[in-house]
Amino acid sequence: MRRFDLTLPRTVDDCVKILSDRGDDAKLVAGGTDLLPQLKNGLLKPRYVVDLSGVETLRAIRVANGSGLRLGAAVTARAIETEPHILSAYPALAESGALVGSLQIRNLATVGGNLCNAAPSADMAPPLLALDAEAVIVGPRGERRVPLTTFFLGVRKTVLAADELLVELVVPAPGPRSGGQYLRHTPRRELDIAVVGVASQLTLTDGVCRKAAIALASVAPTPVRAVAAERALTGQAVTPELIERAAELAVDAARPISDQRGSADFRRHLVKVLTRRTLTTALERARAARQEA
Amino acid sequence: MSTIMKTTRDVRGVGLAIPRADGAEKVTGRVEYVADIKRKGLLHAKLLRSPHAHARIVRIDTAKARALPGVRAVLTATDIPELKRKAPTRAHAVLAIDRVVFAGQPVAAVAADELAIAEEALDLIDVEYQVLPAAVDPLQSMQPGAPPVADAGTEADTSEALAHSAVAMAKGETRRADAPEPTKAVNVSQTAHVKRGDVAKGFAESDVVIEHTYRVPMVHQGYLEPHAVLAEWDRTGHLTLWASTQGSFNTRSEVADVLGVDENRITVIPVECGGGFGGKIRALCEPITAVLARATGRPVRYVMTRREELEAGMPAPQVIIRLKTGVKRDGTLMALEAETVLESGAFSGAVLAVSAVFLGSLYRWPAFDIKGSEVLTHKPSVAAYRAPVAPQTIFAIDSQMEALARALGLDPVEFRARHLSHPGEPMVNNQPWASHGGHEVLASAAGHRFWKERAAWKASAPAGRVRGTGLSLGGWLGGLQPTGATVKLNPDGTVSVLTGQVDIAGTNIALAQIAASAYGVDFEKVRITTGDTDVAPVTGLSAGSKTVYTVGVAVMQAAQDARRQTLEVAAGELEAAVEDLDIVDGRVVVRGMPDRGVTLTQIGRKGNLYMSKVQPILGSARTAFTQQAPAFASEIARIELDPDTGEVTLHGFVVVQDAGRAINPLGVEGQMQGGAVQSLGIALTEQLAYDDQGRLTNPSLLDYRKLTAADLPNIETIIVEVPSPSGPFGARGVGEPPIVPAPAAIANAVEDAAAVRITECPLTPERIAMKLAGRPAGKS
Amino acid sequence: MAKQVLSCTINDEPVEVLIQPYSTLLDALREDLGLTGPKEGCGTGDCGACTVHLDGQPVASCLVLAMQARNRNVRTIEGLAKGALHPLQDAFVRHGAPQCGFCIPGVLMAAAALLEANPRPTEEEIRYGIAGNLCRCTGYTKIVAAIAEAATLTSEGARA
Repeated sequence: MRRFDLTLPRTVDDCVKILSDRGDDAKLVAGGTDLLPQLKNGLLKPRYVVDLSGVETLRAIRVANGSGLRLGAAVTARAIETEPHILSAYPALAESGALVGSLQIRNLATVGGNLCNAAPSADMAPPLLALDAEAVIVGPRGERRVPLTTFFLGVRKTVLAADELLVELVVPAPGPRSGGQYLRHTPRRELDIAVVGVASQLTLTDGVCRKAAIALASVAPTPVRAVAAERALTGQAVTPELIERAAELAVDAARPISDQRGSADFRRHLVKVLTRRTLTTALERARAARQEA
Repeated sequence: MSTIMKTTRDVRGVGLAIPRADGAEKVTGRVEYVADIKRKGLLHAKLLRSPHAHARIVRIDTAKARALPGVRAVLTATDIPELKRKAPTRAHAVLAIDRVVFAGQPVAAVAADELAIAEEALDLIDVEYQVLPAAVDPLQSMQPGAPPVADAGTEADTSEALAHSAVAMAKGETRRADAPEPTKAVNVSQTAHVKRGDVAKGFAESDVVIEHTYRVPMVHQGYLEPHAVLAEWDRTGHLTLWASTQGSFNTRSEVADVLGVDENRITVIPVECGGGFGGKIRALCEPITAVLARATGRPVRYVMTRREELEAGMPAPQVIIRLKTGVKRDGTLMALEAETVLESGAFSGAVLAVSAVFLGSLYRWPAFDIKGSEVLTHKPSVAAYRAPVAPQTIFAIDSQMEALARALGLDPVEFRARHLSHPGEPMVNNQPWASHGGHEVLASAAGHRFWKERAAWKASAPAGRVRGTGLSLGGWLGGLQPTGATVKLNPDGTVSVLTGQVDIAGTNIALAQIAASAYGVDFEKVRITTGDTDVAPVTGLSAGSKTVYTVGVAVMQAAQDARRQTLEVAAGELEAAVEDLDIVDGRVVVRGMPDRGVTLTQIGRKGNLYMSKVQPILGSARTAFTQQAPAFASEIARIELDPDTGEVTLHGFVVVQDAGRAINPLGVEGQMQGGAVQSLGIALTEQLAYDDQGRLTNPSLLDYRKLTAADLPNIETIIVEVPSPSGPFGARGVGEPPIVPAPAAIANAVEDAAAVRITECPLTPERIAMKLAGRPAGKS
Repeated sequence: MAKQVLSCTINDEPVEVLIQPYSTLLDALREDLGLTGPKEGCGTGDCGACTVHLDGQPVASCLVLAMQARNRNVRTIEGLAKGALHPLQDAFVRHGAPQCGFCIPGVLMAAAALLEANPRPTEEEIRYGIAGNLCRCTGYTKIVAAIAEAATLTSEGARA
């Protein structure tokens, strides 16, 4: 790793000030699990690194107004994996946190870092996309909210300006009779990265699908929603045949490349398999969910 | 008084399952590896490496790098007068002179006060390359007109290397590629050809002929500790190297040769080695680190990053085998034809002979025609990896035997057993097979519950999954190397053994047990010391499954020599004949007269007493024997397969292996389990994946996938003992055999589960799923 | 690029040391504090050889900047036991678990964290508990057996 200066802000305002001054030549570090490998490989050579680990507010998990979830950007994957409320109300999100790297990585990696690094394979992106989460961004011009569906611009590119930082994710409650699952395919059981990841979230009313969301990782420059598949499900009774149809439509939303992790053909094949499986489980979980506000 | 006297046979030694002596040091993190060693004034080294697989170096400008504060030296080839224009081996190509022949080849070296400064210095070195076409696929590289890798008069000249690496099959059967002609295949650096009988006739008379091409890509040995070396010169021009190496004497010789220094002006201290598996035999980092230390006048340490290891290490070769076999309907073997291509990277050095031996000699083929070629490409050159070329070769021949058995409707184990060579029968080089336990191993495997219950396992598959079982048989021919050892009796009656062999595989405890049993004391009284190249007898490599086999014999003989000397001294004291003496509980006693004895302490003290006439006891032995001891292993994989994703789940795995005589069963089990998991890595997940420009696309452990504990079941082990006539107490080498069988076992299991035969490793989920998805509609 | 003062607790001792701001925790432990137990196997969090406890949780210390450990609690293999071997260490020795030994400090720290959180793990939980630690020599079987045995010993001891 090359040399750099390190600042240790205590508040979000401190961070904003540093970024306004140093912006282009500075990088934020939270868990470091994406940044440090990039520094060591020489992909990034910032003069300044800003350590977020001293900003306590970024680590908060709040259940807002009794419904919905507010996740500080520096909440770790391990916290997301184990937090009881997330496990019960947002199982797809908990599952995605549980899959990041290894335990030694999950104790460091943050949801904010996962999203801001914006790799197409970011595990925590699909469930958050499927849950219609919003990003809360703070900069010198104040605070703004961006739906996660428009947060990602390309490979390793987000809407964040050089002088902004992500502070929180706001996740609306999925509502009663809702269920979701995140599955990904990897060659190994741990220490791996998604070849394809799929999150499905289904919300039912009187047995009919009121809302469907399917989000895909690793099959496009950014994580994407499979909109045509979602439309096919909305307003319908969800049968295995309809799930199969949605799985096929999900493949159309994928624009995968072939790289050393997988060929485009295999990725398309997996989109279908994992969409089918996550929709099936999402349906089971939706049916089993208790009526709760 | 009637006491039952213990004899030497009853000492606690050979055969005990006891932990290594250094266990407590390892579990407390106290053992030092090279990167843990501190020296005063230590500098840190970094190497600038070529991004191109083949290019001319037009210009290198190091001025800005040299000016960076904290940088103590920046070297290019022009700064190293010893460099040979014709580098006979990769170790000689310390820094590229005017051409690079693989992506990752070092072109400049920096030593600085801090690693971070050294890295910044690399950024400041300006290199202008003229990129040249690269030969990156071995089958294309073999064709006439391919971009040449070796170029007479510059690096990657392999003419001398051939003399070292070509293994003569028999006279005239291995040839070097001579001066290239325009129409000749310039990158074929070795060829070999063995035949017997008439294969054309054999195929014509066969009822079933099966032909497949098997392919196993380059893989990395995967040791956890990257290459590391610390070099320091003293003021007399003597070089000390603290090295992570499998052979301190080999390292010393190579460094001496590369730098033109006498071997006795170099001390190599073999520091605890964090894994080698063949990848730390040849010199790699030592010469350049020594040169940096000389240039700066300070100790310099170089530790490879993981990325450098994967991009510019010395991996196992890619092996491609086209295999055609013919049999009669009743299972009689008729003919075998094979073409093997070994991709050696930029320098020659693959071992062709092993492949031909296993292809043609493992089973009794009446007619065979086996051709082998070593091909150069613009990739990092290869080195050994635990049973070099054997896993890949067994993948081919064992998969083929399984396919033949299935095609004929014969039991796959009986088919192998029927045709497996027996000791005494000729190998492809017409040498007879040495004594081996292949049949016993196969019989034992066939009796394991995984094999016997395979039909029930297959039938038990849950909905949406399939299950299968695969068995395979392989092994290793055994290694040989001359070596020496000394054994001395201490004044307190304890015993000290000195060898030069690096204790990689827990061999030290086995050697202590051998010394204990050969001398006549309990192993707790024996201490093994691994000496550096100044103090130890010349010793061979800790590799090739030959450590216990060869060093064990040297230790055994040295201990026997020390015992003889001890008894001679005691015979004088006790006025008895040597033949009547025995060593019991630390005393030399006359058999049948337990009261007449002298303690080992007394004998030891006398050998160290002022004015004493008794010599100190010092046993020594030098060995160089030629008889190999082949060792066989069979592995069975019990799997479940998800046909939609291609994921294989291992529900059970067993290694059955002939150890000859398990000197330390605990250590032998550890070797079997570790080797089996490396074998499974080759089978399921590991490959060095290069793009069409010869650049590695997976230079991290995220994408170079070694199996984790969560991917594996317990590895069961069954030790079979068919003693070797030449090994110590009958022992055979145990390190190599277990890495051999798993790729074939997995391919056989996948065929059992899903009725597809995959002939390319690794059997990744993608490979399996896409093969299944390509099948005609209607199949399950 | 001025050095910074890192104040934290390491193996139950208060520590104050001057380090480079671009040091990782692994670097600081090994180079500035003489604690060479944690190893660098890959530098990118993919092998577990650098595993230490940060506030009781196992982390890849090669990915933690040293200053991120300020005012926090760090435990390395050197601090796993005082004097006598920890039951895990003892079980590893008796089972013949260490071979080359390079992965062992990291594996032991991961295993110790596992048993703290889950004193009676199943075999699968043990395997997942050390899944972030690569070992090339052993095939993991004896490591898993040693952890399982240590779990029975420590939980029995706790009940006693």
